[in-house]
Amino acid sequence: MRQYFRIILLTLLFTVGITIVTQAETGEDNRIDLIGKVVDHYYLDFKPLTTIELPRLIYDQGSFHFYRSTTSLLNNSDRFTDAAFIDNEKNIVNGKVKPVTYELVRTDGNAPQFDFSLTSHLVFFWFAALLTISIFFPLSAKYRKGTGRNTEPKGAFQNIFETLVLFIRDDIALQNIGPEKYLKFTPYLLTVFFFILFMNFFGLMPWGVSSTADITITAVLAILTFGITQIFASKDHWKHVFWFPGVPVPIKFILMPVELIGLFTKPFALCIRLFANMASGKILIFSLLGIIFIFSDLFGPGIAYGTSWIWVLMTLFVYLIKALVSFIQAYVFTILSALFIGLAVAKHSDEHAH
Amino acid sequence: MELAYLAAGFGAGITTIGAGIGIGMIGKSAMEGSARQPEASGDIRTSMLISAAFIEGVALFGQVVCIILALN
Repeated sequence: MRQYFRIILLTLLFTVGITIVTQAETGEDNRIDLIGKVVDHYYLDFKPLTTIELPRLIYDQGSFHFYRSTTSLLNNSDRFTDAAFIDNEKNIVNGKVKPVTYELVRTDGNAPQFDFSLTSHLVFFWFAALLTISIFFPLSAKYRKGTGRNTEPKGAFQNIFETLVLFIRDDIALQNIGPEKYLKFTPYLLTVFFFILFMNFFGLMPWGVSSTADITITAVLAILTFGITQIFASKDHWKHVFWFPGVPVPIKFILMPVELIGLFTKPFALCIRLFANMASGKILIFSLLGIIFIFSDLFGPGIAYGTSWIWVLMTLFVYLIKALVSFIQAYVFTILSALFIGLAVAKHSDEHAH
Repeated sequence: MELAYLAAGFGAGITTIGAGIGIGMIGKSAMEGSARQPEASGDIRTSMLISAAFIEGVALFGQVVCIILALN
């Protein structure tokens, strides 16, 4: 207790000392755009080193327009312009027009028909896909040659991934889908697990972006699970949806819409859960770091400097939680997919009542 | 417009309370269960995580609504 007290006292002293030294106010508008840090961009952010602008591909009025970067588009195209330049002056740095919002509009102010441009989330989505492929294709080739099947697995690399693969096969697929059909769905579950895991882990790296913090990507993953669930569904599954066995006829009519809605809420929850978990981790980290700047505004920069170590430590804690959460969310997505697939492919015997 | 921020704040708090109660109850029962039957703790952990994920999903629906409220 006394130790904590001493730390707090030290902090306060330190704070007072700095407050006296740095009383200068900058007077600039130093607001942080929190949401702008979370949503995806048309550039890869390597601040303070550099910013890499991604290529733009736009379909408008019957033709495709391709540009190497947003800057090259703004300097070479008289068709499109940055949304900020409609009302304001162009942002010119070193004789070149530089983008401000990166949101493209036609020069008459309307949005283009389709914007197929690469975004940072998509690039990291590809990185994760490449990583998954480059890890598991050599690994499967190894197993085909016999290493790991006839002999023991060799090296830390193969051992790590064999543990995870076996965990998913035995603890997720086998337990939730059942011994007859689990091998058919294990490849999908493995792919989804490692893909989501790598996408989540990219968000923990410096300058990295977790693509799963984008609702489009999680929605695609959820649609895949939904499609597989419905395509491989047994006859009993459809019977349970449209004509629930073992209940009186009026109840069947009540249950039909309920079951139909339930069919769609499952993948919807899957999509929202992954998205919200990953996005909220990011927002939490930026909010904690933002407290330093709020303190700086409220009490002056001295107190902000003095107490900043608290928020940095808490950010470290949240970061570790985020590492845990990225693993748990990949696991939860996989296990729920397995559960839904298992429910759909199971053959019920109609003798027992439900 | 300020009322929307107020509603978002209240909503975020209330969903957090709900999720906290729910996940706390699951954790309590899971701990009791695995204390009584340590050999079943693996199965209990799996089903605990699944039910926690469901509760969390509902809470996150609420949080997403709050974020949308705060943004508009």
